[in-house]
Amino acid sequence: MTFVKRYLIPRLIQYFLVIWLGITVVFFIPRLTPNDPVMKMIDQMRARGSTLEPGAMDDIIEDLTQMYGLEGSWGEQYVDFWARLVQGDFGVSFFQFPARVNDLIAVALPWTLGLLLTATAISWTIGNITGGLAGYYTRKRWSKALDAVAMVIRPLPYYVFAFILLLLFAYVVRWFPITGGASLGAIPTFSWDYIKDVLWHSFLPGLSLVVLGGAVNFQIMKLLVQNVNAESYVQYAKLGGVTEDRIVGKYIIRNAMLPQITGLALSLGQIFSGALITEIVFGYPGLGMLLFRAIANGDYNLIMGITILSIVGITTAILILDLTYPLFDPRVRYT
Amino acid sequence: MSEEKQVVLRTDHLKSFYVLDMQGTRKIVKAVNDVTLEIYEDEIYGIAGESGCGKTTLLKTLFNEIVPPQRLIDGKLYYRINSEEVDVTTLSAEEKRRLRMEYISYIPQGSMSVFNPVIKIKGTYEDFIGSHVDGKNREEIFRIARERILELGLPKNVLDVYPHQLSGGMRQRVTIALAASLDPRIMIGDEPTTALDVVVQRGVIQMLKDIQKKLKNTIIMVTHDMGVHANVADRIGIMYAGKIVEEAPTETIFEEPRHPYTQFLINSLPKFGDKSTRESVPGSPPSLADLPTGCPFHPRCPHVKDICRQQMPETTQLDKNHKVACWLVEEA
Repeated sequence: MTFVKRYLIPRLIQYFLVIWLGITVVFFIPRLTPNDPVMKMIDQMRARGSTLEPGAMDDIIEDLTQMYGLEGSWGEQYVDFWARLVQGDFGVSFFQFPARVNDLIAVALPWTLGLLLTATAISWTIGNITGGLAGYYTRKRWSKALDAVAMVIRPLPYYVFAFILLLLFAYVVRWFPITGGASLGAIPTFSWDYIKDVLWHSFLPGLSLVVLGGAVNFQIMKLLVQNVNAESYVQYAKLGGVTEDRIVGKYIIRNAMLPQITGLALSLGQIFSGALITEIVFGYPGLGMLLFRAIANGDYNLIMGITILSIVGITTAILILDLTYPLFDPRVRYT
Repeated sequence: MSEEKQVVLRTDHLKSFYVLDMQGTRKIVKAVNDVTLEIYEDEIYGIAGESGCGKTTLLKTLFNEIVPPQRLIDGKLYYRINSEEVDVTTLSAEEKRRLRMEYISYIPQGSMSVFNPVIKIKGTYEDFIGSHVDGKNREEIFRIARERILELGLPKNVLDVYPHQLSGGMRQRVTIALAASLDPRIMIGDEPTTALDVVVQRGVIQMLKDIQKKLKNTIIMVTHDMGVHANVADRIGIMYAGKIVEEAPTETIFEEPRHPYTQFLINSLPKFGDKSTRESVPGSPPSLADLPTGCPFHPRCPHVKDICRQQMPETTQLDKNHKVACWLVEEA
């Protein structure tokens, strides 16, 4: 029970403290920006050509302030905000009024989750396997070739690489759609046609993430394996005539994997903040796109909804990683 | 020595260099330079010398583990396997692997992280022994392991812990027990007592001696600690700049060293009751990449003569067991 008392409880307290702190910062930061959502809305109405009487204007300002939950001092707003939050309610979106933030996120989240989970899983697996093999067989020709490829891809800025893919495969040769998560008017069902349509739309954004992410994983894993290969315990196992498959699996890969497991947990946690550039370049209807529009419009509630999701995602991923890490590395123990 | 002992490991003018390519210029490090050795069954052979004289490279070469940039330049290395002399440098990688543990085993310096940190000691045993005995299951492997561990007086539970939970001394003893698991004919130790305090050192030395007595095999041990050699070795080879400059039974080395370098080594050892200042070897060891001409010891030798600067002396057999490579002896 010393584990619960000396490690688990303090760790959980820390977990909730970090989440509280993060959310509080997220609450105040948008209120410190010069974007006033009420005035922005009125500007938008003016831009559409409607003229308002000064009296009607004041009424509208008052109404909007009330609907947005921006009445009273920041302290009062903060208390109100928490009262709603503990019920799992992020409030209404300012700019897609009267849509609820919860509903907007619920629509965008599956797109992001589907794309990023798959892309992360594939790039992590492929990058680690190829990087591990290339790190062990450094002198082989295919290893040097892979290394050269990774070396070319890796320094490319992501948005440049994404644009190249988009131009080549959606514009020059029109194999893939140029934008969207599914064809316009397609009805979400579990039919093969719809799934095929979604896969077809997600191929290019997925590919861009897999290739760049895979190159990063490849290079990291290759270095890790090369370092572990030089460790005394690997040299000793070779001197002890241990069979090669045992050395590669149990000695090299097993030890080189440790930092990569941390990396995987962190990137899985980050999924909830979306893939901003990917979604913008490929016009993909995910969380990143939603967040981008929310920030541009000063949509406090939507910004907070997405950021809170991302804060909880990352802190939870780290918590799970910390709690399970002793299973991977026996040198780490909590007692 | 009355009876003739069988030679178990023999080298013939062994030369093994590191060939390094440094930005276009080739650099050759002559770590093992013309070494001819005969090591017998049922003895402990000590190799002594300063840091950087090529001791560890010689061990690796004797162990038939030559990986680039190290290369075997010339000479032969023979093991006596089933009363037949085999040139082991020509064996395939798999044949070399098979010999390890079963015929010749390696004892590393245990203070280094020689055990896989993420598996228990018994996992290491399973890999090392399981790679050599076919068709035995884990239980049989652990039985072999446990037997030797108990014989050598180690606590039985060492198998069930992780390497970081053992002390340095215990780790060193586990490496020795592991090396002895399959009754190898030769065991090679690279500084197995270094980095241990003297009390633990004594235990480790005793353990090596016990194993040797029981298996009647050969232990080849490298250390720079002459005190350890005096305790353990039956014969000692003194190594200087990649060459064995003197070789004799331990007593002879300590009583009548003939090579000036050996004399310095012995005279620098502290003795009870003698309070005079000890003299060390003047100067520092030469770079193996840039050896002086002639005898490599001549720049530091107090008895240097003209010929020493020009030519390397041949090895002179003083008596049956005492060999030395020095012009002073050659000319006497």
